[in-house]
Amino acid sequence: MQVSDNAFDDWVRQYQRLLFGIAYWWTGSRSDAEELTQEAFFQAYRSRSTLRDIEAVKAWLVGILRHCYSQTRRKDRARDEVPLDEMADETGDRDLLAPDILALHQSLARLDEIHRLPVVMFYFQDLSYREISEALDLPIGTVMSRLSRARKILHLSLTTSHKLILVTKVKAR
Amino acid sequence: MSCELYRSEMYAWRPGSDTASYQALFEHLADCPECAQLFDRLACADERIRYTIQKFPEDRSLESRILARLAHQRTQTNDRRGSWRSWLLLPLAASVLLTMTVGIIPRLREARLSREIVTLLGTAPPAQINSSDQRQLLDWSAQVLPGFSNLPPELKKVEFRGATVLSVADHKAVLLQMKNERRASLLIVDALLTRKSGFTSVHEKSGSASLWSDGRRTYVLLFEGSVQEMHTYMVQMGIYT
Repeated sequence: MQVSDNAFDDWVRQYQRLLFGIAYWWTGSRSDAEELTQEAFFQAYRSRSTLRDIEAVKAWLVGILRHCYSQTRRKDRARDEVPLDEMADETGDRDLLAPDILALHQSLARLDEIHRLPVVMFYFQDLSYREISEALDLPIGTVMSRLSRARKILHLSLTTSHKLILVTKVKAR
Repeated sequence: MSCELYRSEMYAWRPGSDTASYQALFEHLADCPECAQLFDRLACADERIRYTIQKFPEDRSLESRILARLAHQRTQTNDRRGSWRSWLLLPLAASVLLTMTVGIIPRLREARLSREIVTLLGTAPPAQINSSDQRQLLDWSAQVLPGFSNLPPELKKVEFRGATVLSVADHKAVLLQMKNERRASLLIVDALLTRKSGFTSVHEKSGSASLWSDGRRTYVLLFEGSVQEMHTYMVQMGIYT
């Protein structure tokens, strides 16, 4: 499929926030997310002729982001957990120190990859089950069962994390 | 279906889902306060996560950085394409050169030769050497035309009475005047100015000419008369059968 440079630039404007957001919650790191987002767009630009359906561009881009993420993960297997302290330091955003955000980071970090990837896409609201299944290259039934499991874990984990964070804050005072 | 199964189904539901697919679940929620309470808690938690997940640090310069890098990448690709185009132009240039060599240049030479033949037909230069000795005239011509010793077979019958050295189309040439036909003369050019090995006849106001080549030199029979008269003379001398 022929994609003009202008059309591709429009996709960058339209979807860079989505890709960065997903990458941010996948990696837990702002700088990693920036790098992933940029790399995903460059890979997408290079392989833009492989896009079959222009309607599926969002899922296609997220699929490429997932591919880039997998490549990065392969290179850096040693890093299994999101470094929360490092994350808080590098953001410089006071809102990010809010308990909800810290708890979500912590809970997502506890999820294994097969659950973390779809659940982040799920809560982003922008992606349907079909788009998630296309982006992850998985059957829709697998995606739904993984999501169901991931949401259960996340809900449970968030309740625990909230309690932990609140206890930590009380102790700090 | 048990409450446990409905609770599993709750996790598959998301806002905006097809209600018909979850009709059984909603019917159960209407009848089961415990599951309904759990569903409300789940919906609240989902909403909180959805709200939280949207609060991530945004980098307003990321978009412009991606676009700038893409623009840079495109420039580099265009440059590479440009250099590839240059390489692709090489065969094109070579083919143009070949066409010039094979096609255009010989045509230009022939055109120039034709113009000079017209001039020679109009004003024939005086002989520099007059002799009825055939061998002497051929030896004299050989000084101008390197490697020239004998006439080609088709000219074996002709005899000359005088010769002139001249330049035709920037090439050395000898103009030999025929002994038995004052209207005829033979121009031998030390170059291939015609691609044809056979005879090509032309007629101008001042006379006619017939050109051919032996693969190395160009021969032109100049004749002050019509093409018909020239052909008759050529047949008579065994030049043209």
